[in-house]
Amino acid sequence: MSVPADAALGGLVLAPRRGRAHATNRAVVFRQAWLLARNDLRQELRDLELVLTAAFFTLVVLVMFALAFAALPAAAQVLAVPGMLWLAVAFVGALTLTRIFDREREADTLRAVLTWPVERVAIYFGKLAVSLLVVVGCGALLMPALALLFPTAGVFFERPLEAIALLVLGCVAYCATGTLFAAGLATASGKNVLLSVILYPLTSPALIFALVSTRALLEGHPQFSTYLGQLAAVDLVVLVLASWLFEPVLVGSQRPHGPSPRARRERARVQAERP
Amino acid sequence: MSIAPLALQDLGKRYGRLAVLRAIDLQVASGEIVALLGANGCGKTTLLSIAAGLLAPSSGTRAYGPTRVVELDRAARMRLAFVAHSTQLYARLSALENLELLASLRGDAPGREGLAQLLERVGLSHAADRAAGTFSRGMQQRLAIARALIGAPELLLLDEPFTALDHAGRAILTQVLLAERARGAAILLSSHDLDAVAQCCDRAVLLADGRIAAQTQRERGESDDAFAPRIRALGLGRAHAHAEAHDREPAP
Repeated sequence: MSVPADAALGGLVLAPRRGRAHATNRAVVFRQAWLLARNDLRQELRDLELVLTAAFFTLVVLVMFALAFAALPAAAQVLAVPGMLWLAVAFVGALTLTRIFDREREADTLRAVLTWPVERVAIYFGKLAVSLLVVVGCGALLMPALALLFPTAGVFFERPLEAIALLVLGCVAYCATGTLFAAGLATASGKNVLLSVILYPLTSPALIFALVSTRALLEGHPQFSTYLGQLAAVDLVVLVLASWLFEPVLVGSQRPHGPSPRARRERARVQAERP
Repeated sequence: MSIAPLALQDLGKRYGRLAVLRAIDLQVASGEIVALLGANGCGKTTLLSIAAGLLAPSSGTRAYGPTRVVELDRAARMRLAFVAHSTQLYARLSALENLELLASLRGDAPGREGLAQLLERVGLSHAADRAAGTFSRGMQQRLAIARALIGAPELLLLDEPFTALDHAGRAILTQVLLAERARGAAILLSSHDLDAVAQCCDRAVLLADGRIAAQTQRERGESDDAFAPRIRALGLGRAHAHAEAHDREPAP
């Protein structure tokens, strides 16, 4: 609607979405993302459905890990602890992403948001923030618990900043990928079954990066910061790609597939009149 | 001549080989209420969804005011409001919180007082702090309509807004629609309720087989009572066309 009338009447135009108003746009995106995330959190606080499910699941997983792997030798713990951490994050993440979009599907509210003056990418960042909060929260429970259960994981206490950075970066990579596809499926039929089918293969690279970095931290690898840097790079790539792909994944292309029948008839008439 | 807030030209929509809409030409002017009539499955919701930017047309163009657009950006969506057949409310949030969310997202929030006035307009001021999930279907419908009025949009798209409303609710909605028309809003709604349509609309368009099959317009100064028979005739035309379509179907 920001296109001048003269220009618009000349032919089909795309309303420009990027350009001069870039900075204002960015501020709007972050404000709207915050408002949407706050809305989700407000609903969550009413029944704590998601938080309780995720926390309880994390505790059950911890108890099972403790019973199954308590007697592992130290060398084996270095290999097992990263797997336990990121396996739990993957399951809690899937649970969270499914529930967040289920809520929207129940009352078809996501479609309402799509007709509101909301930047589509703000929906992505809003959902990402909520899922990240839940998953990082569960990770924050897992890490100290694993450190208490398995002596090798005591590194999490010894190097807390690196441990927190690792957890946050790993969760960002997982949730950034997961949110993109969970949103796409929220407006499609197929729903949760398809999400489970595609979520794990698509998030595997992020989880593998996080897993290898965690092992490097436990081993006291001298180049751990390089691993962390690589994980941050993965986050950046995923976030850029996801924010670029989010709108087409969510609503598909809005472009007509070809010239209208009237345009085709007109073109045929003009061609027929040519000598 | 003023430019219509909504102009659909040669619009078509196909799902694979199934043509749902064909060559639709429809304009809704400022201060005009246009009703879409037609049998179930004739394309009313699809047409409204395309106008609301939820669906892409397979062919043709959509223009909002002076600008023809392919994709509705945020600025375009600022100027329209859509009430779907389902109420699309956040069940855990109160009525006021449901309104506050959209108002804050728009950025031109009328303030808590303004939102309370909107609730009053649809007769829900007594339930402002109740969770929307505890509302009856009719109350939810009124709340959805109140939400659509936030920011005084130029174009209102309403998919069967009279659904689930009791007699009082229908009267409230009719008053709201007439007030919005007086404000200068362009309103496109779909309905099966011919009496309600006759009370508020200026023009009724019959969709059949994805095309505009017929339309009728209220004459200047024409009363509801005088206009109602023509609306009913259009509705009967719908029933007739539907029966004909059934007759044409081969026996199983």
